[in-house]
Amino acid sequence: MTTIVGIKTKDGVVLGSDKRASKGFFIGSKIVQKIAKIDDTLAVAIAGQLSDAEYIIKVAKAERRLMELRRGFPLTIRESTRLIANIAYSGLRNYQPYYVELLVAGVDREGSHVYAADMSGAITEEDFASSGSGSPIAYGVLESLYNKDITNSQASEIASRAVSAAMERDPGSGNGINILAIQNLQKEAVA
Amino acid sequence: MSDSSQNSGRFPFYGPQGRLVLVDSALEAVSRGSTTIGIKTPNFAMIASQIKPTHPLIEPSEKIFPIDFHIGATGSGYIGDILQLIDTLRLESQKHRLTYETPIDVDSLAKHLSSFLHNYTTYAVRPQAASVIITGEDQTGIQLYQVDPSGTFFRGSGFAIGQASDIALDVITKEYNKDMKIEQAVELGRKAIEKALGEKPIVETGIIEPGQTFRRIRTENT
Repeated sequence: MTTIVGIKTKDGVVLGSDKRASKGFFIGSKIVQKIAKIDDTLAVAIAGQLSDAEYIIKVAKAERRLMELRRGFPLTIRESTRLIANIAYSGLRNYQPYYVELLVAGVDREGSHVYAADMSGAITEEDFASSGSGSPIAYGVLESLYNKDITNSQASEIASRAVSAAMERDPGSGNGINILAIQNLQKEAVA
Repeated sequence: MSDSSQNSGRFPFYGPQGRLVLVDSALEAVSRGSTTIGIKTPNFAMIASQIKPTHPLIEPSEKIFPIDFHIGATGSGYIGDILQLIDTLRLESQKHRLTYETPIDVDSLAKHLSSFLHNYTTYAVRPQAASVIITGEDQTGIQLYQVDPSGTFFRGSGFAIGQASDIALDVITKEYNKDMKIEQAVELGRKAIEKALGEKPIVETGIIEPGQTFRRIRTENT
C-alpha cells in the first residue's frame, strides 16, 4: 500500500508521497509522513512496513553522521544508499526481512541522485522511480511527463500529479500528498 | 598489609615517571628498525624504506605494501608486527568497499589503525612494536600519515621513523620543497636514509600520484 515517487532534476531531487496507512481494508491513518529527511542533503521515501523503515533510517542517520565526523566530509548519496541496502540485506539473510522498499534521494558534490533500494539489498540509480501499490499508475504519469531538463518546481508538479493519479485508482493510497524538494549544493566559486 | 609498591599485584602499565612503560619499549624497538621515510607535496607523495641486507642466499623482506589501489604503506619495527598492521589496513579498506561501495579515505584508515594500536595500550598485552607511514589519494587530495604504537597519529608532509630517524627527518626538513619533482623526492629520500645510516642503503620506494594507482619501485644496490 502507498504511492511514493522520486524524480531527479537538473537542479536537485524531488520526492512525493501519499499520506495513507492501511490496516488491511481499514485506513489506519490519514496523516502519515512517508518522506523522512536524513539531513539537509538526503531524504528517504518509504513504502512498506513503516516500523522497519523507521529503524533502518534511524541507523543510517547515525552512521552517516558518525562517518562525516570521523572522516571530515559526508557520505555521498551512493555510499548512503549502499549503507541502507546493506542493512536491509542483513535482514533478508537472517530470514527476518525488513519489509521495505525505499527511494533514497539527495544531492552531493557529484550532483543529484535518485536510488531505489529494497529488502533484497539491490540498489538501482534512476532518473525517476516509484514504489508501493500505486506505483504502476504513478509510473504511467511519470513516463509521459518526465524529461531530463525539468526543474525542481516542474518536478514537484509532476510528482504531485503522479501521486494523485495513483490515489484516484489505488485503494492503498490516498488522503493527500507530501512533496519534498532538495536543491543542488551551490557550486564553490572557482578562484 | 599490602606491598609498599604502588602497583602491587597489578600489571605495571605506568612507570614511576608516569609513562606507559610498554609503549615506551615499543617506541624504543621502532627506533631500532630500518630507517623509513615519507614525503608529500601537493602533486604526489612517496614513501621509502631501507631494506636491511640479510644473507646472499636470503631474499630480503618487502617493505612497501599496497593497501588498496589508491593507498600504500610502509613501516618500521618488528616486521611481523608491521605485516599484521598492514593486513588490518587492507581488511579495513575492503570493509569500506563492502559497506559503502567506494574506496576508503586515508584519514579513516589512519584513524582505524590508531584505535587498533591504542587497544594494545589499555590491556596487559604487548603493544605492537611498529610505526607505520600511510600514503594515498582520496577525495581530499594526496595524504600522508604516520601512526605510532601508542595510537598517536600525525598528518604531514615529511616523516621519518626507525633507526637514526631524527637525522633523516633533519635532511628532509632542510631540503623539502613543495615544488619538487618525483625524481627529486626519491633522491631526497635516498639521501636522508643514507645520511642517517652513514652508508649507501638499499631502498624500496612507493609513489602515489593523482588519478593513478599506488606503485612500487624496487631499487637494487647502486
